[in-house]
Amino acid sequence: MHRLDAILTLAGASLRSEFQYRANVVTSIVGGLIYQLTGFLVVFIIVDRFTELGGWTLPEITFLYGMRLTSHGIFYATISQMFEFDRVLINGEYDRFLVRPMSPLVQVLTRKLRVNCFGDLLGGLILLLAASRGVDVDWSLAAIGMLLAAVVGGALVEGAVQIALGSLSFRYLNTLQIRVVANEIFNVYGNYPFRIFPGLLQYLLTFALPVAFVAYLPASVILDETNGLHVSTTLAVAAPVIGVALFMLALLFWRRMSRHYQSAGN
Amino acid sequence: MPIIDVDNLVKEFHRPKRFDGPLGGLRTLVTRQMITSRAVDGVSFSIDEGELVGYLGSNGAGKSTTIKMLSGILVPTSGHVAVNGLVPWQERERNALQIGVVFGQRTQLWWDLPLADSLKIIGKLYRVEPDRYRRNLDQFIDLLGLEPFLGTPVRQLSLGQRMRGDLAAAMLYEPRILYLDEPTVGLDVVAKERTRQFIEQINRETGTTILLTTHDLADVERLCNRIIFIDKGNVLYDGPVDRLKRRYAPYRMLDVALAGDGDSAGAIRLDLPGVEIVEQGDARLRIQFDPEVIAVTDLITAVIAEHDVSDIAIVEPDLEGVVRQIVESGNTALTMGGDRS
Repeated sequence: MHRLDAILTLAGASLRSEFQYRANVVTSIVGGLIYQLTGFLVVFIIVDRFTELGGWTLPEITFLYGMRLTSHGIFYATISQMFEFDRVLINGEYDRFLVRPMSPLVQVLTRKLRVNCFGDLLGGLILLLAASRGVDVDWSLAAIGMLLAAVVGGALVEGAVQIALGSLSFRYLNTLQIRVVANEIFNVYGNYPFRIFPGLLQYLLTFALPVAFVAYLPASVILDETNGLHVSTTLAVAAPVIGVALFMLALLFWRRMSRHYQSAGN
Repeated sequence: MPIIDVDNLVKEFHRPKRFDGPLGGLRTLVTRQMITSRAVDGVSFSIDEGELVGYLGSNGAGKSTTIKMLSGILVPTSGHVAVNGLVPWQERERNALQIGVVFGQRTQLWWDLPLADSLKIIGKLYRVEPDRYRRNLDQFIDLLGLEPFLGTPVRQLSLGQRMRGDLAAAMLYEPRILYLDEPTVGLDVVAKERTRQFIEQINRETGTTILLTTHDLADVERLCNRIIFIDKGNVLYDGPVDRLKRRYAPYRMLDVALAGDGDSAGAIRLDLPGVEIVEQGDARLRIQFDPEVIAVTDLITAVIAEHDVSDIAIVEPDLEGVVRQIVESGNTALTMGGDRS
């Protein structure tokens, strides 16, 4: 109970810190929203022109895009500070976190908030809502439950990858470039039905880097598009659970790597 | 039972070996050869509850590395530490609740929030009950004069104000042990004095055990009755400040101003045991003497008996000179650590 309270306190502090700069908040959110919707617009134009992509209709693609973007927004709101982790280590801020009575990882993640995550979240929700009527889904409680679990699970998958890669910084200090590349791969390939990719790439984007688990696999289940899936339907249904599992593995890896921490000089 | 017990503490750092020449960068990247450096090399000491100890040494002597192991930031290569019965790196969070840490060069306050908000957050993280929080906060507002800038974002505070905020944050949850890593670095004279006063008061009134590292030896002379001096990762001296001075700077100086025209200055000779004239100017003398051999009163009597003296002053060796001497002579033959009685 105290732990949750402490996390909320720190998260609240980073939110309030950000709101000291009001103009920045507004431009970041609006900017983030426009950026994401522009990205979607390209997909919209292409799919609208060819009426379908990899056998998925325009509303289905919109739905997939919305799921991925919402997950990404949740990931960004909670875990994006991993992108600044190298700096936290190098400038000695991490020492500060280690002398407080709580998890240093939580302190890293709550040290600041990138408000443009709200743009991503908003964009994702708009697309999801817009698409939810167009897709052929019976919105039962089970379907809604699967959607919620999938969106959270997707955020966990992206978070797991960033935390695991960030843990390498305990040893090698500069790993930002790897994480930026990984994040880019999620952003570029995560929003499309995998059938349009060559076979090898489909497997790489599933097992080498778990992009498929963020949105494509759970969306296939929700939209009943599991025919011709490159993996078993069971694996697709289990996507949210896999998200949780990957995240726990990432935390273990973090803990293990943190033993290599050498602290900065002064 | 000491509150801090450090036994044969060693910390080694490993870095990949660097290569020069063609493809040097690439070889550095892939090499498995490691260079090992020992920052702390077998340090032992113990500190009793309520002590205020100065932990001294030149840059790179291993001071900060020791403090980092005592506070749970670093895991030592070998050796043992118990802080109030806890091993800091094994029970990091429990240890964190009983220590306060101030790094002079880095603030722990929230940069963009008013000071009052930072203190409130610290109060929550350290589980201070509202009553106790209120009482402590009022006390520190009073002691440190925080009132005028409680509502100012930390990024707009002066260094001195920020240090006061950091001290309040570190003491808000009443830790039994306080580590201060260069708390006066970069402060002006007034701010330094204020900081020292607070440290002294905290130690005296609440009995908080304080371990202080500093490069400003005036801090030590003002605050500490015991110092631990380390160099190259070893304890060179552990004991009272005045004994260090006696041991490394056994001589005092007597500055004598001569009355009259100073003609006699050239003829001055003092044939006394343990006495030497080290400087002679017009109408001025600097005499070095060993108080163990000759009492200062005898020396003054002897000087006055032979010369017309207008002024006389005894100069105590300052700690800075002593420390410089130790570091310059810099060999471990001086080692006498752990002989504190």
